[in-house]
Amino acid sequence: MRNARGLVCAALVVLSATLIGQAPQIPPAPTGQAPAIDLSGYWAPVLHEDFMERGPGSEIADYGGFPINEAGRLWALSYDPSRVTLRHHQCEAYVTPYQMRALGNFRMWEERDAHTQRLLAIHLWAQTTEGHRVIWMDGRPHPPAWAPHTFRGFSTGQFKGNALIVQTTHMKSGALRRGNGVPQSDQATLTEFFVRHGDHLTNVTVVSDPVFLSEPMVRSNDYYRQPVDPGAWLYACDDGEQILDRPDDAVPHYLFGKQPYVREFGTRYKIPVAAGLLGAVTMYPELSSRLRTANETETNALLSPAGGRPSETSKVVGGDARDGNVHILPVRDNVYMLVGDGGNIVVQTGDQGAFVVDAGEGKLSDKVLAAIRTLTNNPIQFIANTSFRSEHTGGNGVLGAAGQDPSLPGSFFVQAAPRGVTGFFSDPSSHATMMAHVNVQVRLQAAGAPAAAVPADTYLEDRRRKFHNGDAIEFFYQPNAVTDGDSLIHFRRADVIAAGDIFTTTQYPVIDVKNGGSIQGEIRALNEILKKTVYRHQGEGGTYIVPGHGYLADEHEVLEYRDMVVIVRDRVKAMVDAGATLQQVKAARVTADYDTQYGVNTGPWTTEMFVEAAYNSLKNGR
Amino acid sequence: MKYSHVRAYGLATMVVAVVTQAFAPRVEAQRGGPGGPPAPITPRASAPIDLTGQWVSLVTEDWRYRQFTPPKGDYGSLPLLPAARKIADSWDPARDEAAGEQCKAYGAAGLLRLPTRVRISWQDDAALKLETDAGTQTRLFRFGPTRADAGGTTPAGERTPGGDWQGASSATWDYPQAAFAGRGGGPAPGGSLKVVTVRMRPGYLRRNGVPYGAEAVLTEYFDRLDVPGGDSLLVVTAEVVDAEYLATPYWTSQQFKRETDTSRWQPTPCAAR
Repeated sequence: MRNARGLVCAALVVLSATLIGQAPQIPPAPTGQAPAIDLSGYWAPVLHEDFMERGPGSEIADYGGFPINEAGRLWALSYDPSRVTLRHHQCEAYVTPYQMRALGNFRMWEERDAHTQRLLAIHLWAQTTEGHRVIWMDGRPHPPAWAPHTFRGFSTGQFKGNALIVQTTHMKSGALRRGNGVPQSDQATLTEFFVRHGDHLTNVTVVSDPVFLSEPMVRSNDYYRQPVDPGAWLYACDDGEQILDRPDDAVPHYLFGKQPYVREFGTRYKIPVAAGLLGAVTMYPELSSRLRTANETETNALLSPAGGRPSETSKVVGGDARDGNVHILPVRDNVYMLVGDGGNIVVQTGDQGAFVVDAGEGKLSDKVLAAIRTLTNNPIQFIANTSFRSEHTGGNGVLGAAGQDPSLPGSFFVQAAPRGVTGFFSDPSSHATMMAHVNVQVRLQAAGAPAAAVPADTYLEDRRRKFHNGDAIEFFYQPNAVTDGDSLIHFRRADVIAAGDIFTTTQYPVIDVKNGGSIQGEIRALNEILKKTVYRHQGEGGTYIVPGHGYLADEHEVLEYRDMVVIVRDRVKAMVDAGATLQQVKAARVTADYDTQYGVNTGPWTTEMFVEAAYNSLKNGR
Repeated sequence: MKYSHVRAYGLATMVVAVVTQAFAPRVEAQRGGPGGPPAPITPRASAPIDLTGQWVSLVTEDWRYRQFTPPKGDYGSLPLLPAARKIADSWDPARDEAAGEQCKAYGAAGLLRLPTRVRISWQDDAALKLETDAGTQTRLFRFGPTRADAGGTTPAGERTPGGDWQGASSATWDYPQAAFAGRGGGPAPGGSLKVVTVRMRPGYLRRNGVPYGAEAVLTEYFDRLDVPGGDSLLVVTAEVVDAEYLATPYWTSQQFKRETDTSRWQPTPCAAR
């Protein structure tokens, strides 16, 4: 005991002499995820840079300093700021790169495990839009590609040196610049650095966006520490009617080359108009020499898609799961999304048999069944098809044969049903009941599908309803959307809508004009979804939408998709009204600002096919 | 009693560990080998980050103000006092040219806001040199106290604000807080370069005549941030304190990207317009 005390005293003496007598030495590294810097507290943004953007808002065509590609430039030029008067756009939050530039107070705090005190997460709350970010520090992986996106995205962090480095994925689409349309896509990823120098915090954002940027966009945001709680943290918003009697298929935008305010910015500040439109070079010292060669002809050319070239193709990586496996994503309550076998599948479970919406392409049906069996011990009782398209009905046969409908044996209908007409009623104990709009049945039968793969329980008019597994399930017929047999299927209690191919996050709508599809019907159907959704907070969450392909969405993704279809329709219609031929419409690249997201030039559904469908649809008044 | 022993030995072990950690960097720094005289560690040798190389401005904020000379009186975002507005409102680039003062926007407080390439190198073991091709300027960041002879004097012997647009800079390495608290072991994996610059010849914060004065103090932190799988960035966080012209400290942060191709280095003279 005495020896130990002596050792302690000696060590303290040596330590004191060491610390007092020496100049600062190279300090040791932080270990593990022990915070290298403490970011906790209240922070106020410094607005000594970009005050106009961050305060009053940016001007049209002021896109300088942003490495936007052609699609980004055209998207911005098409943008009309009055789009925010549309109900669903009114309360949208900011995407994280812009959120960090917002006015208002910020608060950061740590979340630690109650028992181990290990750092689990760093939280950040932004007053503007009540933006709550969670930066996970516990090493958890990022979600899969088919998981929902949010305005904040999914963030993980680690300390390195004197910085907190944060990686963010799964952001929604939004504004990279406030107010003038410079876009950020839902494929953007973000790397951030938080560096603190005393009471000064610097946040550096590096946005990589394969859809709209030609190289990463780097900005830095400064904050100063506030000693006390500023006490203002809320940002209430509810949407409402701002412009009465506007048709629901009206989306404010400008046709290519028709942006009326494009020259205001340059004129006001005596800057060449091209300066704001040239993309990445505008960030560099070379801008001044580049502008010496920019003439009026080039400037005008920047206002419309470049001609004489094929459409761009999608820069999205991994939009659909194609790894040969079927993946389960819990949606809400007892509703799940299965991805991997062509079109997305919805499974609802409960004390009754499983209710399945769409059956996938059928190439991985055994894996689909195996996945469903992990969710419920009960058999598949119902299969509903959102359309007759093969990515959604290809698995009908296998999934149907694996199910059974216990509500039918012994019923009058089974006893009285003429054998061979509906197929399933002949032996309901060994087959699920299949439901769809009657036109799905008609199209599948016409295509020669086996009876066991054709829905027998059909409806004819605008609505079908069913209460199953404790939830009210509604079918809403959408005439002439992508086909003439499309249904939206709404699980009311879970508040999940299966949209089928009316809505996807991966491709232009597959408007099958020969089988009854039309662009007007598609727009109507998308608006029908938006009439049924309720967001939870600041334009996101709430009603979930399972797309025909792609990731689990909410109304924001449907809204942007609806806007896209309306805008492309308007462009095609303007040309049709002016007497343009189909070839002229195709050559005009009317989808140029969306092609890096959805464009495909080969395969079963190309950009040209979509444009042609829109053209033919409009020529036929549909 | 037995418990006390355990507790005491545990405490002793902790203290020894702390002492070992406190000594470790010093031992590392001595480099003289056992028995040899300790070699003084130099700022260059103790650099926690490598800032050397060529960097190019990424003008993504205040773009209009930085890529172009804004119109007279256009001083948005700046926390100016009336005295500054009065000077800015009388800005006359022709007058600056005639007076040979076309470098007023290239002084230390405004230099790194300009679109430029930057080369950073060690002039010696205790001073970093920063050169810009815009305006062909050179800043010297000397570690240690500011040199007393920086700046100039009047014929009457009074100290003037400085004979040089870049003033006098003193540099220090700035380490993460936790590292000073003695966590972990081994050399610091990161840190910043802190530079305090005084005695600048009065110049412009913005090309269109927004002034900073003789007593302005510029404090900068140079951070190197390596994007995983991407570019190396240099971020310079700057604070200008100037009681003569600024109502509050003026805070900005400028970002640069590292260039391996140095062929775009193009020295140009100062321009007043």
